Amino acid sequence: MMRLIPFWGCMMPLKYPQMELAIRKTLPNLGIELVDVDGFTCCPDPIYFKARNKIKWLTVAARNLAVAEETGIDIITMCSGCISTLKEAQYLLAEDPDLMAQINRRLKRINREYKGKVKVKHAVVMMRDDLGIEAIEKSVKRPLEDIKVAIHYGCHLLKPSQIMRVDDADYPSILDDFVTAIGAIPLDHDEKLLCCGKGCMDDELPLEMTESIFASIEASGADCMGLICPTCFSSFDMGQIMIARQKGKTYNIPVIYIFQLLGLAQGLSAEDIGLHTHRVKADKVLEKIV
Amino acid sequence: MPKEKVVVDFRFREKLNKITGGKHHNYCYQCSACVAVCPAARFTDEFNPRIILLKALLGMEEALIGEDSPIWLCTNCYSCYERCPQDVRPIEVIIALKNLAVERETAPANLAKLSENIAETGMSVTVSSAVNRRRQELGLPPLKTIPLEELKKILEEDEAEEPSSKKRKGEP
Repeated sequence: MMRLIPFWGCMMPLKYPQMELAIRKTLPNLGIELVDVDGFTCCPDPIYFKARNKIKWLTVAARNLAVAEETGIDIITMCSGCISTLKEAQYLLAEDPDLMAQINRRLKRINREYKGKVKVKHAVVMMRDDLGIEAIEKSVKRPLEDIKVAIHYGCHLLKPSQIMRVDDADYPSILDDFVTAIGAIPLDHDEKLLCCGKGCMDDELPLEMTESIFASIEASGADCMGLICPTCFSSFDMGQIMIARQKGKTYNIPVIYIFQLLGLAQGLSAEDIGLHTHRVKADKVLEKIV
Repeated sequence: MPKEKVVVDFRFREKLNKITGGKHHNYCYQCSACVAVCPAARFTDEFNPRIILLKALLGMEEALIGEDSPIWLCTNCYSCYERCPQDVRPIEVIIALKNLAVERETAPANLAKLSENIAETGMSVTVSSAVNRRRQELGLPPLKTIPLEELKKILEEDEAEEPSSKKRKGEP
């Protein structure tokens, strides 16, 4: 049994608890024990909070890292925003001892210190590198045969690769391999690596980007979109409702978190992994699963 | 005809360097690799990371952090950071500019709305009784208590850390 601290962040436990549910149901089947600890806050978010004040953003991130470090157990994150903040904070603090001292001066007020020892990985990276793809394959009871998945990598799992060290940011395979391991077919499409647009503070641009991605997925003939990031999820699930309302175009492409797909392959029901909570229903995918 | 005289505001450039934690953006040689991979630039002519970097090099404070600055159109995708051959980290320059705009109070109103939750509640998403009800329906454990006291203490201003907008010793 591998023991790891899940860093849930905000989006999953508060906005999309079905994603947390899928993680809690699927990881134990792979020999992972999730050790919940007290004392975390938001990572904090790498877009808006960082845009306000970078030092405060780093301080809150370092505090979260220090909380985990005190337990001696390493962290996994399931959210691309959380992994982005925690990995970048670690990188910046390791790169600059003066900055580390400045941040630790703030943490000293609450008798904490970040030493730089805790390891942080995204769950999919831990699965690829520490468990191995074969372990995922072995946990599958019902391969998702003939289900064509258009993967959306999103930005923050991969970039900047200098910090994230996950995969080739221009030609990634980590999620394609994951989808293959559960018996489904990963499909390429033109906009596979386009940003969902959520971080852009404009009324129109984000929806235009989202729609480009849907048009590309529709042309690919995929049964669903498979994604890894809860922020992207809001762009795509609720986003499809917005596109239908504002642009009059209905795509009806189910948007499924990669661990929900794993859950289906492990034999869990749609309700077990909270698929019924999604705006765009996954019926056409579920019908294909025998 | 004489060319127009360009005055570089090195003080603004210094301010930026202080937040980005280096002089990365000084190495920008205007190659436009960032523009080629920028999704915002693909969808609108109003956003061009090369031009933002040029203005940052010239220290054009007003254009960059005045009202209606284009910096808020950045999608935060990190493609420019990934691609830049000079390790300029354009997105980090844009984020530093956003920090300065917040100090100057020219940031869009919804930035505060999107980020103040974290300082006040420890979470970016509002914690409500409906959230715990939904979690219960899905069979998830209740949310853990958020250590607000600790959060408040570490976010208090530090006298030793001067904000970038303050003048340094010896400056007029």
